[in-house]
Amino acid sequence: MSTELENTNMENEEQAPKTDISTERYLTFRSDGVTMGVSTNYVIEIITDNFITELPRVPDYIRGIINMRGQIVPIIDIRLKMGRGMSEYMDTTCIIVLDIDTVYIGIIVDSVQQVLDVDKTQISPIPVEDHQKLVNGMISLSSQEVLLFLNCEELISTY
Amino acid sequence: MDNGMDNMLDMYLFETNSLLEQLDNLLIESEKNEEFTTDDVNEIFRTMHTIKGSSAMMEFSSLMTIAHRIEDLFFFVRENGIESLSSNDKSELFNLTFKSTDVLRGEVEKLENNEPLTTNIDNITSEINTFLNKISGKGEEPGPAADSGSAPAGTASVAGLPNSKCPYFIQMFFEEGSGMENLRAFMLVNALKDIGLDFEFYPEDVETNSATSESIIEKGFFVGLNSEEDMVTAVAAVKDQGSIHTYEVIHNEQKPKEEPAKTEDAPQVQQPAASPAPAGSAPKENANAQHANKQSLISVNLSKLDALNALVGEIVITESMVTSSPEIQGLKLDSFLKSTRQLRKLTDDLQDISMSLRMVSISGTFQKMNRIVRDMKKALNKDVRLTIIGEDTEIDKAIVDSIGDPIMHIVRNSMDHGIEITKEERIAAGKDPQGEIILSASHTGSEVVITIQDDGQGMDPEKILAKARRNGLLTKPESEYSKKEILGMLMLPGFSTNEEVTEFSGRGVGMDVVKKNVESVGGTISITSEVGQGSCTTLKIPLTMAIVDGMELRVGKSIFTIPISNIRQSIKIAKENLLYDAKGNEIVKIMDEFYPIVRVYELYNIDTDITQIEDGILIWVEAGEHSYCMFVDELLGERQIVVKPLPAYLNNFDIKNSGISGCTILGDGNISIILDVLNMYTAANI
Repeated sequence: MSTELENTNMENEEQAPKTDISTERYLTFRSDGVTMGVSTNYVIEIITDNFITELPRVPDYIRGIINMRGQIVPIIDIRLKMGRGMSEYMDTTCIIVLDIDTVYIGIIVDSVQQVLDVDKTQISPIPVEDHQKLVNGMISLSSQEVLLFLNCEELISTY
Repeated sequence: MDNGMDNMLDMYLFETNSLLEQLDNLLIESEKNEEFTTDDVNEIFRTMHTIKGSSAMMEFSSLMTIAHRIEDLFFFVRENGIESLSSNDKSELFNLTFKSTDVLRGEVEKLENNEPLTTNIDNITSEINTFLNKISGKGEEPGPAADSGSAPAGTASVAGLPNSKCPYFIQMFFEEGSGMENLRAFMLVNALKDIGLDFEFYPEDVETNSATSESIIEKGFFVGLNSEEDMVTAVAAVKDQGSIHTYEVIHNEQKPKEEPAKTEDAPQVQQPAASPAPAGSAPKENANAQHANKQSLISVNLSKLDALNALVGEIVITESMVTSSPEIQGLKLDSFLKSTRQLRKLTDDLQDISMSLRMVSISGTFQKMNRIVRDMKKALNKDVRLTIIGEDTEIDKAIVDSIGDPIMHIVRNSMDHGIEITKEERIAAGKDPQGEIILSASHTGSEVVITIQDDGQGMDPEKILAKARRNGLLTKPESEYSKKEILGMLMLPGFSTNEEVTEFSGRGVGMDVVKKNVESVGGTISITSEVGQGSCTTLKIPLTMAIVDGMELRVGKSIFTIPISNIRQSIKIAKENLLYDAKGNEIVKIMDEFYPIVRVYELYNIDTDITQIEDGILIWVEAGEHSYCMFVDELLGERQIVVKPLPAYLNNFDIKNSGISGCTILGDGNISIILDVLNMYTAANI
């Protein structure tokens, strides 16, 4: 039903060099063709299948609520929250449950990738303050790919 | 460490609050009799002593000082006997004690809210001192005035080693003026015990006898140890303790070094000499006896109970997930069925017990009213007695907390507006000159009924109507209002019958807030009143908010639950019975009345095949003053549900106002949304 994050962490522990102060671990995932990362400090667990109970009269990006071992967790589709189009959910689609300052929230992502150690000093700000409010930094992974960092505080704030 | 401090603070607050509460009850009791009995005086003395001790330990100096002063005061009263006071002095004593406990409570509240304590408490202390001087001036001999509670004892005895065989002694002196030396010594003893040392200490009764402070100040506190090793460990521990000024290791080998071993003057011997000591042995025994009675109770953090309840709820759900698992359907499993039956019984019992843990008696809330009636009696100069019935009634802790204010408000209203202003009015009306307010609580099935009744002048419907007219609250011709409706208007926002603002009521917080509070815990409120005979306010409160009888229903793929208490009836109607009002809204006629229809799938935009009125079912619901019919696909059945609140995050989207009050977890682990019939009505805008 759910994959405990600890397992992922464990595997990674062996490959990753011992972290120093300026690095932080990030869980990376894909959403609408871009790679994004969220600090593992926030991540509670990754749920691969769970029935989402829809709520009436809420914005479309709030997909509903799920029952995570008795705890009711609201689920957000960050694709929709970022103003991109809806897409069909696939096998790899999963929910990452985050604990942001004791607010539990689940985000729907296209697929979960890996846990990376990121040197925080290398994170550069987003060049233009565009509509992607949910992103608060970026770092290049390879020549073609960048990793965008999810702004968790922004995620739970409302406007 | 921080955590430890927090726990200590929690314990301190809990203890001090309950002591103050007991004290309040005691004061009210004795004021009724217009007399302090010797027991009362002892009890107050003891309470203050405890508060003083624990406040000193927590270093809350304002609390300590006030408690200390009151302790002094009652020490004097105890020594000289309550009879020595004139009745004027007595009533002043009552007022002063009430006032001081109020100050104490204020300080404790500040602690609870993390506010800084008042530093300037001269007002109250000087007031106590003045009073003490006044009464002690009249007394036979000048009592041990506002200084330290105990008189200088069998004085100036030379410091001496206790009579003991221990080869090593540590003699300690606490910092000068640190106060509560005996308690500090006791804490030290506990610290040493914690590290597993075997030792003797002198004076031996530091825990219970505050007079030992004197001897500790003079001669030091002694810890006797049996080996050098123990001595070294103990010295290390002593060094870690705060507030110890100096310490000295003494070898007790017949040839004392710096200390002349005057064993004949051992502290045990001089303890009686140190009297008149506060908290002598007799009242102490009483306290111990009381303690023994309370041993069967423990205090538990509410969050732990909540966690337990949540867990039990989970177990109940998981149990039904296991037993109704599709994999075992259709299999013949005799022993399995037997075990699951057993399991179900056990989980049911477990649930009952865990629910009952949260139930507390309502007496605490009721007892607080005693105080309010007492204060208002004085301020308004009315003679009123408060009668309490059924204070042992138990109710969910969360609900008790939230109905305290409403009850208080109603009692204040009764005192202020209900009871006649003068005795003469009451006598003229042929009533007992003393007014009466009856506060009662009782169980009826799943509800607790609380009534607040007064035998005052009652409310005049005409006046209420006139006032409502002035405030523009009337919605139909005056003649069409029934008496019940008129009294109901008292609880409308913007209605307050009292034009003047008094100290106690009419501060803009009206009955509408009371009504809101009561409704927020799922209760209802109603008022009855007869002119000249008094008024009665009735609150009906569900026993617990956590469990409700619910009706499950389906709309499309969604499953909803509505509380059974809201449902009047469910009906199927044919298309021909569907009517339309002037605006074209669908209505239906039931028992000669017309009710609007809310199609849930339309309201909530849910996909369903059932859109024809004859395919689905109508549920006739009622909440507050609204009554309407809900159109749903089908009813699934009745069930007891455990209510879970929705995540706070969703409150940002005004989810309550769209008619959703919470959710519950179904047997298969899925979620059913609980609908709020009243808010749905508003959301549907009919």
